[in-house]
Amino acid sequence: MLTYSFKRLVQLFVTVLGVVTLVFFTMRLIPGDPISAMAGDNLSGAALDQMRGQMGLNDPLPVQYLTYLGRLAVLDFGTTVTTKLPIVGLILGALPVTVSIALGTIFLTVLISIPLGTLAAYMAHKGNRMLDNIITGVAMVLDLMPPFWTSLVCLLIFSLTLGWFPASGTVSLDDPAMLLRRIALPVLVLSMAQIATLARITRTSVLEVLNEDYVRTARSMGWSELHVLFRHALKNAALPIVTVIGLSFGNLLNGTVIVEFIFTLPGIGNLLVGGMNSRDYQMVQTLIVFYAMIFVAINFTTDLIYRVFDPRVQF
Amino acid sequence: MALISIPLPAHRSIQFNFSSLNGTIRLLSNRRVQLALMILVPILLLTVFRPFLPIPGPLETNLRAMTKPPSFVHLFGTDRMGRDILSRTLAGVQISMFVGFAVALLSLTVGLVMGTLAGFFGGVIDRVMMTITDIFLAFPSLLLAIGLVSVMGTGMLPVVLAISLSDVPRFIRLQRSLVLSLRSRAYIDAARTVKASQMWLMTRHIVPNTLAPLLVAASIAAANAILVEAGLSFLGLGIMPPAPSLGNLIRDGQTYLEQAWWISTLPGAVILLIAISLHFLSDGIRQVLDPRSRK
Repeated sequence: MLTYSFKRLVQLFVTVLGVVTLVFFTMRLIPGDPISAMAGDNLSGAALDQMRGQMGLNDPLPVQYLTYLGRLAVLDFGTTVTTKLPIVGLILGALPVTVSIALGTIFLTVLISIPLGTLAAYMAHKGNRMLDNIITGVAMVLDLMPPFWTSLVCLLIFSLTLGWFPASGTVSLDDPAMLLRRIALPVLVLSMAQIATLARITRTSVLEVLNEDYVRTARSMGWSELHVLFRHALKNAALPIVTVIGLSFGNLLNGTVIVEFIFTLPGIGNLLVGGMNSRDYQMVQTLIVFYAMIFVAINFTTDLIYRVFDPRVQF
Repeated sequence: MALISIPLPAHRSIQFNFSSLNGTIRLLSNRRVQLALMILVPILLLTVFRPFLPIPGPLETNLRAMTKPPSFVHLFGTDRMGRDILSRTLAGVQISMFVGFAVALLSLTVGLVMGTLAGFFGGVIDRVMMTITDIFLAFPSLLLAIGLVSVMGTGMLPVVLAISLSDVPRFIRLQRSLVLSLRSRAYIDAARTVKASQMWLMTRHIVPNTLAPLLVAASIAAANAILVEAGLSFLGLGIMPPAPSLGNLIRDGQTYLEQAWWISTLPGAVILLIAISLHFLSDGIRQVLDPRSRK
């Protein structure tokens, strides 16, 4: 186990280094450089040169690359190009909003999709195809609805027509009630897409377990159907479900960018879109690396959980 | 050589000849494929024949019909400049379809070549390629596309390239695993014993048998590309206005959501229909190809 974790950790490190390298060199491929992009035509050649010198852009590329790596190692992400604010501060300030959306979504998704998927599996097992087909069909449609469209439809129905949730308003951790009301719709929208995937996997893995001998044994011992379903079937089907929750995190991160933009929530997704629109490459570069790191770390954890809890997995 | 090309029963299960009439009939008699075609064909026909329909052009403004709700004259209503939403949606579908098709074709081709090489030769090539795909797969797809667009700029070509780049690693992985499982089949050993060259083995015995699963993956990739393109355009990072991409249309209507719900919601519903039908299509193809899933 320890050797395996170590091997995976080395692999993780190589991937992260690859991500950083890739992002660094791709950003240097931009025609012109960040300085001329932000300065426009207003500055003379000499002034531009001076600014380049200040930012180290006149050094040879390998030197620039090593300097960049050195800074990353001490978590110095630099400052934004336009406002000169430290990027780490901005990210840390925006992170709580994104994290609350993500956690809320995972909570709601698990709460709805696991009972739903189990029910569908049970119905399919009992030969009732109708309910199973309906649940599976609805799950597919939900899965394919583009989140930005669902957001607008929800905004139209719940905020503008029914007035249940505010469409705007300041969001901060000091006012949890407001925060909850503001993130309710985004969480709902993101959950819709996640519920589909999770319900489908729950259905498949529970259905598989229901055909196992030990479930039949449990039944023949006189356990009630509910007991068999939740204590014997769902428990043994839990592993793939946990894995899928971990793996669907990438999708969730994609989704947070979109909902934060639509519902004007000050999370890191909004920082990214803002950075793109103001051509702040420093910011975009840092955020893309940051997202990739979160994603890789979560995949790593999921993989370890899987191996810790499934004694059948060989090392 | 003719003798060796005769497929053994074990690998016939995934072989599927699309040029044969029998195969086409089997595909067309699948319920999901029928359902998919029932949605896709009308949308495609309307898109292709849009210039001949009695509706205004997608960029034509009409100051006497600004922000009109859906009616018989304007089935999907009009936007704030009096442009016909139906016409713009159909023009958007054309762009979406092009993006979906281009991405599917590009990532399928690149994935096919690189995945075959990695799976067939193994060794250093395989390890290097797997490390590189690992790096690309470390980015959530929309975010990778955003990063790439920030480098390559906006517009049709960068968008297609950006989305393809995030799909290619998945295709390489898929193709590699297919090749790995085929490589050790008995019929490949049989071909080796009569001195079939590496090239012959790859192009005549392995690649044809991987096409069917790749095609299933490609139709899902097309649906996904359409959604990602719409997402990028919606964020203002994809295809630039006034080109009426579906994402642009939804973005346009966002500001007027309260006064004119139809501008955003109707084009979005069309995206959903296309995505659903492409998924049905891939599901249907898979059912036809995989005898185990047939009931």
